[in-house]
Amino acid sequence: MADFYGMTGKIARVDLTSGNIDVIEPGEEIYRKYLGGSALGAYFLMKEGIADPGIQPLAPENLWQVMIGPVTGAAPNPRSVVVTKSPYNFFCATTCGGNAPAELKYAGWDGIQVVGKASKPVYLAVNNENIEIRDASHVWGMGVEEAEMVLKKEVLAELESREGMIRDADLTPEWAEMRPPKRLGMGQKRLAHVWLIGPSGENQVWYAATMTEGARAHGRWGSGAVAGSKNLKGIVVRGTKGHMLADKETFLQLTANIQASMRNNYFWRSYGTAGIGARSAYVEDAFPIRNWQWCCWADPTVKAITGPFMDQTSFVRKSACSGCVLHCLYPIETTSEDELMDGTLSDMPDWEAMGMVGGMLGYMEMKGTTPSDPFTGNHNDQAENLAKLQFTTFLHDNYGLDFIEGGANLGLLMELRQRNLISADDLDGIDLQWGDVHAVDALLKKIVQREGVGDRLAQGTYETAKYFAELKGNPEIINYAMTAHRYGQPAHDVRSPADKNALEYVTVNRSCAHTGGGGSGFKQGDYAAAISGQNGTCATNSLSICTFASGDWGGFTLDILKAATGWNDFTEEDRNNVGAREYALSRLFDVHTQQLTDPKEQYDKQVPPRWFNDPLPTGPHKGAVAYEGNTAKLFNEDLPAYWAARGWTEDKGIPTEKTLKDLGIDDVALDIARQHL
Amino acid sequence: MTQVERRDQKPEPKEEPQEKKTKVTRRDFLVGAGSLVVGGVIGGVVGVQVAPQAPPVEEAAPEAPAEEEAVSPYKAGYTLVFDPYQCTGCMLCAVACAEKYSKELFPEETKNMVNLEFARIRPMRFQYVDVVNVCTYCQLEEWAEGSSNFPCAEVCPEDAILTIPEGEGKEGYYGMGYKWIDRDKCLGADKCWRCAEICEDQFASGISFDPIEKKAQVCSRCGGDPECVKVCPEPMALQWVPASRNGRFFANQPTAYAELLYRKMYNKRREL
Repeated sequence: MADFYGMTGKIARVDLTSGNIDVIEPGEEIYRKYLGGSALGAYFLMKEGIADPGIQPLAPENLWQVMIGPVTGAAPNPRSVVVTKSPYNFFCATTCGGNAPAELKYAGWDGIQVVGKASKPVYLAVNNENIEIRDASHVWGMGVEEAEMVLKKEVLAELESREGMIRDADLTPEWAEMRPPKRLGMGQKRLAHVWLIGPSGENQVWYAATMTEGARAHGRWGSGAVAGSKNLKGIVVRGTKGHMLADKETFLQLTANIQASMRNNYFWRSYGTAGIGARSAYVEDAFPIRNWQWCCWADPTVKAITGPFMDQTSFVRKSACSGCVLHCLYPIETTSEDELMDGTLSDMPDWEAMGMVGGMLGYMEMKGTTPSDPFTGNHNDQAENLAKLQFTTFLHDNYGLDFIEGGANLGLLMELRQRNLISADDLDGIDLQWGDVHAVDALLKKIVQREGVGDRLAQGTYETAKYFAELKGNPEIINYAMTAHRYGQPAHDVRSPADKNALEYVTVNRSCAHTGGGGSGFKQGDYAAAISGQNGTCATNSLSICTFASGDWGGFTLDILKAATGWNDFTEEDRNNVGAREYALSRLFDVHTQQLTDPKEQYDKQVPPRWFNDPLPTGPHKGAVAYEGNTAKLFNEDLPAYWAARGWTEDKGIPTEKTLKDLGIDDVALDIARQHL
Repeated sequence: MTQVERRDQKPEPKEEPQEKKTKVTRRDFLVGAGSLVVGGVIGGVVGVQVAPQAPPVEEAAPEAPAEEEAVSPYKAGYTLVFDPYQCTGCMLCAVACAEKYSKELFPEETKNMVNLEFARIRPMRFQYVDVVNVCTYCQLEEWAEGSSNFPCAEVCPEDAILTIPEGEGKEGYYGMGYKWIDRDKCLGADKCWRCAEICEDQFASGISFDPIEKKAQVCSRCGGDPECVKVCPEPMALQWVPASRNGRFFANQPTAYAELLYRKMYNKRREL
């Protein structure tokens, strides 16, 4: 029988430079400490010295890992997590759903680590324990959608790829005469699943994503660029070994309970994240409009960003990850008068896309008006606006780009153009005005191919602002980059008291993540609660399952982990500590790889000045600014208090020796911590 | 598409149960109406043709399980049909199928294992479309192809692919002409894969092999009360309906099916 339940106990390590493939067996103690997913990935980054500032993110020495957790497989809502050093030179742990995570477990792996750099484009074909490094030159340069379908058919399980043995004599004579067998053998099944990068990853655009199933993304922090720097197009997985579980009966019962709960989860089962667009704008006043100059339209009839309108206009069906009943991805086909967009096949868009490449780019207003003006169009105009948004979503997905950072980048450029701080000539003749989807299309091509100014823009929002600030001799330009910790702010604002608290974005361990958790704790100044929320999110990303379903998992989470692994003594505190470990390790990783001598000044305070300086111009929270404009309280009182509650130093936010020892991570973290304490 | 009640509730019979005389087994039929052999391997299809007054819902056979068990009145002539708009590709059908048959065939080996390779039904995820793959019960056409057999059964050198006539077969199953692999006769995929190959060559992708003994697997419709339909969480996504026609008209190779769905759902032509 298996030594391990839940986990497989094995992680594949592929060195693309030498072509060697090794098996890492971390042992049960490591799994209990880190579970899998994001925390286990953070452990390996620290253990292998990837925090070393000498290792450039896009150099062969960087470690790129796709990790899963102990319940990933037969449990519902599986996620995979890509953990690496981001091209932005900080910690990257980016999650994604789909069917590939479960397939990796069925192939017998808890993760795949890639180091080195192949001499030519390759992909990994994972067929149970057999991992092959295969040529990928035939799909290099291809968009995500096309390349995925090519790769998918190239990996078949052993029993699905037999040569032809049928002969005419096996058939009746009449049948054989009319329709002789093709003798091609078997090979029709398509059961492999694929993670891959698009052309933007190949060209190392800093915010390139790792994609699957066309529109699902490990979206953030540039995991696709790191894969591209290794000449790795993707990983194709087919597994037939199943998922070993300590107590299968209990596990399946809990799975059924979760699925029954999801079945009644009307919110997700109606429009997915598209269901919150209108609420975010008109109730929370926190929707990104025109690079966050507005967060709410003055006229609430703007509705192309609402789930019901999208459904009425374009939803075709719905798509679930394995074992999930929430099916939050809705494939769509657009109908438009504009040939560029007509017939686009993509998904919904989801919440972040509708904000970051929708409202953000001025797609929702009629030409010549601003978000402060009444909406003068009709339902067909709204549908055309939605088509622009859906087409831009498709472009980012198919190029393999993060549309959050991508939208922040385009929004920045559009605002600079609005304020005449740059001209069309600065963008190689592309006149990037609000709402101009053709200009966006043209500029994105340049970014993805790194042509002309696109080569500059490919380094993301903050570097784009820095470039134009220097070019124009105007340091103010930097202030229009809506980035926190140098990465694009997602579609939740911090000025409205109804949405996020600024400290949440300041403290989250993955640069400006909107999914860090702990929101209500931050709002109440209860940092123990906030930390518990953040740690819980890390544990979810380490298990690794979907946060959308965490309400349905509710009280079952620990039980299902026990049923999977047989660790019956695993406690709620153990689970919380998984998150505490990830936070400590990722904080040290960020401080060390950037060699921050004063992390607060150099990193933590790098947030958009607009948060504090530009009051919300419209909507139910008109006039609000972040933290009531009190940056001194935010950074000099509350941030140190949060750090102290984590057991980190109050001046720099470095985990203390005692904290590291209490968490049992001093073996991989103490040396680095001492350099910064 | 015909719609019926969800199968997680026991359907109410719509008519009074009839006397047993309305039931015509395949054997009875083949003996009694030889000249009419057209496409009727599945007993009930034939039964309806021969006895038009037969009710759509029949009484359980006398040897059926006791009343307190969930008894399905569905029998011959029914088939599995999935709706590509409603199906989300969530895999619950595959897990239920795999669990049922792994527990039955390899209780010891799979005591701690969930393995989808035991599933006879298997959704395949293409981008934006999902194809549910399951045997559609294709039949050859006697007048053109010289046989009215299942193509996989026709090419099996060991006659290991059986058709269980109505009223016979496994306890708790309803006969209804379901397919069954005689695992003692099946040579296993190391020696022979003719059934799977002819299916993938000319029809669909309805045959798989278990991962332990590598014997062929094909959907038996759970003998008349399919587990997959009972667990499907999406209304009407997977139905067990009286299709009453040759299953080959439902059959497509998975990539071909996906290409058709791109046309149907998104007005796109894609080559897979």
